[in-house]
Amino acid sequence: MRLYDYILSPSCYKVRLMAALTGQSLDIRPVDFHPGGEHRKAELLALNPAGSIPILEDGDLLLTESSAMLVYLARKAAPEWLGDGTAEQSARLQQWLSFSHRLTANLGGARLHEMLLRPGDIALLQAQGVAALRELEAGLVEQDLRGMPFLASDRPTVADIACFPYVALAPDGGVSLDPYPAIRRWSRAIRALDNFIEMPGIHRLHELKPEPQIGTGEE
Amino acid sequence: MSADTTGFWTPVALSADLPSGTVIPARTRAGSIALWRSDSGRVAASADRCPHRGMRLSYGFVRGESLSCIYHGWSYTQTGNCLRIPAHPGLTPPDTIRVATHLVEEADGVIWVAVGEPVHPPPKLEGLVALRSLTMHADVTTIEAASGAKSDETGLIKATQQSETMWLLLSEQEQGHTLVHVLLDGENTLGDRISASRGVESLRRCAEDLQARRSRDG
Amino acid sequence: MAKEAMLDEWYPVGLFSQVKTTAYKTALMGEPIEVSVGADGNAIVTTSGGRVLSSRVRYGHVWSSIGDPQKEIFSIPEADQPGRRFVDVGVVRVRCSPLRAVENFLDIAHFPFVHTDILGAEPHTEVQNYKVEIRDVEDEVWATQVKFYQPQAAKSASGGITTEYMYRVPAPTCSVLYKTCPPRPSEWDVITLFVQPLAEDLCDVWPWMALFDDETSMTDLIHFQQTIFLQDRSILENQIPRLLPLDPGMEIPTRADLTSVAYRRWLKRHNYTYGAQLVAQ
Repeated sequence: MRLYDYILSPSCYKVRLMAALTGQSLDIRPVDFHPGGEHRKAELLALNPAGSIPILEDGDLLLTESSAMLVYLARKAAPEWLGDGTAEQSARLQQWLSFSHRLTANLGGARLHEMLLRPGDIALLQAQGVAALRELEAGLVEQDLRGMPFLASDRPTVADIACFPYVALAPDGGVSLDPYPAIRRWSRAIRALDNFIEMPGIHRLHELKPEPQIGTGEE
Repeated sequence: MSADTTGFWTPVALSADLPSGTVIPARTRAGSIALWRSDSGRVAASADRCPHRGMRLSYGFVRGESLSCIYHGWSYTQTGNCLRIPAHPGLTPPDTIRVATHLVEEADGVIWVAVGEPVHPPPKLEGLVALRSLTMHADVTTIEAASGAKSDETGLIKATQQSETMWLLLSEQEQGHTLVHVLLDGENTLGDRISASRGVESLRRCAEDLQARRSRDG
Repeated sequence: MAKEAMLDEWYPVGLFSQVKTTAYKTALMGEPIEVSVGADGNAIVTTSGGRVLSSRVRYGHVWSSIGDPQKEIFSIPEADQPGRRFVDVGVVRVRCSPLRAVENFLDIAHFPFVHTDILGAEPHTEVQNYKVEIRDVEDEVWATQVKFYQPQAAKSASGGITTEYMYRVPAPTCSVLYKTCPPRPSEWDVITLFVQPLAEDLCDVWPWMALFDDETSMTDLIHFQQTIFLQDRSILENQIPRLLPLDPGMEIPTRADLTSVAYRRWLKRHNYTYGAQLVAQ
């Protein structure tokens, strides 16, 4: 599986993270999104005329939507990430997958504007981002009341991976995460998963490693 | 709220929102706080700023009974002393390196931080169970108007939304925002709790609309 | 008053490879400016009001000033060595003081915590003594004999090594880092941070590199450096106060911070205070 990837893209990170969590390897083909604009040049437009990344290639399967990539990775090697198959869980999963696309536009748009100088109506993007975070917070509060730490189930699914990156990086776009206790708990639960990998802007949870002992002779 | 002149208590967070081994940002009228719970479960409130290079301690991490700054790993005890500077492992940090701390009380599922030195303990919330906290872009007066009730002597507003009764404990934040802790009477079902959560979202919409109109109309 | 001493300095305002005939609008210390390329291929920088500003093209970037620079842009002799690859890393905007951005670049004690498993890792957190001076002739801050153990020091490194560094501050918002070059151990890789002050609490950061590395793709080199800088960005946006304190009292340095102490002293000596605060609170 080849992933056309930009290290700073939260959407590309969704795929890298999903692969790491499910023990699958990717052949990474780095794309010079910034400053090169390579995603809009001939070679990549030939693969994806929409000019977006990530792009995932596996044989003659070509995917250009990150949600589809998450589902593909889950179906291939880790179907437990797709929920229990009941109507209710499937619906919750799909609800949050669809929701996640709005985050690319609002939180992602704010981040691109504030950090990489892309055009946009920053006040509007931030306001829309706040509205989206409030929706997510309300959903996570209800899941928590049901005894479930994740969006669609009592275990993580592709829905959580689809929503996590843009939420975790909201502060990059000037949208604070301070007012959302349920999002904070959920974000921590994801970051503490086995085989979790970070991306730039998401720090390692150093508390997961015990205090290193000084004076044991090393160094 | 009790009319203490030496200090007062601010409800900053719910116990359930501060698991062991974690740190979260919080606010009192005195400023930003790094509110944290050690691995053994003890709560502390440190000023949200590492004296090394000014990094917010609420971005840090908790190991054992100490809070470390994410920037250079300087770690602090619950009383504010600096325990360790990783760049100088053999050095015992001098007493002059410290962060200010604030009094903390935890009771009935709510965490309170003191501004100054209150004489009395925080108000009791007998029989109430904490549900969730949320931030409203509205001031206290506007929230009272939206819920049709004023705070009682404990500082609680009794609000009814879609036939759900809930109790709101308010804490003023900056920029005209208010942190609202939602509590319910002891006996309730999952359905009640979900309704209450949705009810307070409706109340927030109402309060924020009212605030926007008030701001616009001067 | 805060601005004056820094008005006459050169600042990066764009990537030369990306400048077009239509103006790119940006700012220098609160003054709106525009950057474009003329018919002759030369860079043109003007204020929004039309006043033509001095400009240069150096190290892949367009440089300008809203004042009257008394010196040319500092030199980096290594940039003229044959065989070096030049990497335009691309601009990143940060809501912080331009001086805080430079100071973070000079710091190594944060490597194990912020650049975990790349530039540093626990328990290898100790910062050994190193040498710092303000060189009078060049009027620059220099730190030498800096050493740190790194799990993955560069794209060209195959494993963990003890990296040697030198740091240099030749201008108030620019820093040059020289680090161990794994493919050519007798040479230094050069990594720079050129910071454009937009306001006292907002800057555009333009990293640039001159490396000996024939193996790694340009995109991978760009991504590696962007990774490092993006890991620093959320730190930079959360330091209090926003402005860099130049008086003692608010912040406490240790021996690991000698470069930053010298930098702050040098800034104060020159009255380079745009992005700084002077009275300890």
